[in-house]
Amino acid sequence: MNAQYLLLECRRIMRSGRFLIFSMVMPAVLFVLLVGMYGGNGSTYEDGSSVAAAMMVSMGAFGAMSAALSTGARVAVERGNGWQRQLRLTPMSPASYLYTKLIVAMLVAVPSIALVSVLGATVEGVSLSAGGWVMATAGLWLGAIPFAALGLLIGLSIPADSLPSVMGLSSMVLGMLGGMWIPAQIAPDWLSAIMKATPSYWFTQLGQSALYDNKNLLTAIAVLAAYTIVAGLLSARRFVTSAQRA
Amino acid sequence: MTQTAPTGTDGAAVRLTGLRKSFGDVQAVAGVDLHIAAGEVVALLGPNGAGKSTTVDMLLGLSTPDAGEVRIFGRAPRKAIGDGLVGAMLQDAALLDDATVAESVALVAALHRKPMPVADALAAAGVADLAARRCSKLSGGQKQRVRFAMALVADPDLLVLDEPTVAMDVETRRDFWQTMHKTRRTVLFATHYLDEAEQFADRVVLMREGRVIADGSVADIRAHVTGRRLTAVVDAPDAARLAALPGVTDVDVRGNTITLGCADSDLAVRALLADPTARDIEITAMSLEDAFLALTTEGATR
Repeated sequence: MNAQYLLLECRRIMRSGRFLIFSMVMPAVLFVLLVGMYGGNGSTYEDGSSVAAAMMVSMGAFGAMSAALSTGARVAVERGNGWQRQLRLTPMSPASYLYTKLIVAMLVAVPSIALVSVLGATVEGVSLSAGGWVMATAGLWLGAIPFAALGLLIGLSIPADSLPSVMGLSSMVLGMLGGMWIPAQIAPDWLSAIMKATPSYWFTQLGQSALYDNKNLLTAIAVLAAYTIVAGLLSARRFVTSAQRA
Repeated sequence: MTQTAPTGTDGAAVRLTGLRKSFGDVQAVAGVDLHIAAGEVVALLGPNGAGKSTTVDMLLGLSTPDAGEVRIFGRAPRKAIGDGLVGAMLQDAALLDDATVAESVALVAALHRKPMPVADALAAAGVADLAARRCSKLSGGQKQRVRFAMALVADPDLLVLDEPTVAMDVETRRDFWQTMHKTRRTVLFATHYLDEAEQFADRVVLMREGRVIADGSVADIRAHVTGRRLTAVVDAPDAARLAALPGVTDVDVRGNTITLGCADSDLAVRALLADPTARDIEITAMSLEDAFLALTTEGATR
């Protein structure tokens, strides 16, 4: 790991305005809009839980997921234009390159969670226990790790020019199937089976543990850990093979 | 500059032994042996598809040979790069569009253990005035010089340059080579430009169809294609009779003008003068280009 490389990567991300808007501003705006439509004035679901709190967790998760996913996938560009080859001419190990990308993806996931949480606590009047806040922020953040790894895997697998469409589609599909847009409870059985195979479903479960005592929490952690390991290993493999000139 | 030139067991900067690489059915490199002593400046010359870039890739550990061995100062390529002994400039290695020139060079410096000061590398490559510019705003020649700064900043003992002056104008090319010569390192550069090889290399390695077909000083390579070219004007030239003259290796007839490739031009000119119509005789040394063309097309039309 090289600190200067990490720093340069962060600076490069900051220079990409469009990128920051998508990962940071969009989830916050969606959150405020959704609460305005469905959850204003402290409305609750039938079980008495706060709509605004549930949406805060969902949008925080969605933002963190998209940010981690798309940052990881930026490696597609560096593979396409030959920057990876340039880095191979330095003593930096391939592992350091991948770790740096993962860390950057995780850093980019921070602002969307932070902004949505701050808006939730101030503007939308969400009140959680101390443990709830920890889960809704730090828990969500750690839960984004598998998406950073998945993003890396996608970036190492697809050509740079199809990156925007693949990213848009995967965020959307993962968001829908993960129950970030529509609660998973209202899905029919066949759909719910599919949803439970996605990492985003379990990510949402992790987020919901901030709101109530979720008996799925341990399963969620296990599934997300498994996704991280598999995506990480596959990425490492892809990286080694992609270095060879075709 | 104090270079502690690390040497392998045999003192070689680069040693390639029996190197082979195929892509599907195409044999890109078909058995290359190359030995470069520390301090040599070697040009790797050859037409497109000769296997130059593939050889460079294997030398730098960017691809794995199917057979054979690469040693840089006695080490495996990855180890030599890890030890900061190698600086390289690749044809298709990009710069980051959203980083500045100084940031890019500083990054490469930060990844090495004993780099030279970034400012020195920028100055040496002639890009000090571009330090704050984004890489996306550079011309082709400027980009090449930035890549050169990135190769140089590691303060390497071996520089490997793949087509370094492509996209540079004549003046920039000259400056580039002047800088190169001041660095006093072992240099291996691949190029299309014959004059570059001729002017700047101590030694020329000629590749064709994945093999080294000639290896020596520029003078050696020239001599490889036998000596001289004789042109003359003859009435009613007879190609078969001319080819039979002593010392003549090949004949080209265009109207009354004949061009004879000569192994021994003295013998050839004496025999030719037996023809009383022979006039306007000129004898010139083969240029490196003639040698290059002869060597790289020899047998290709068989």
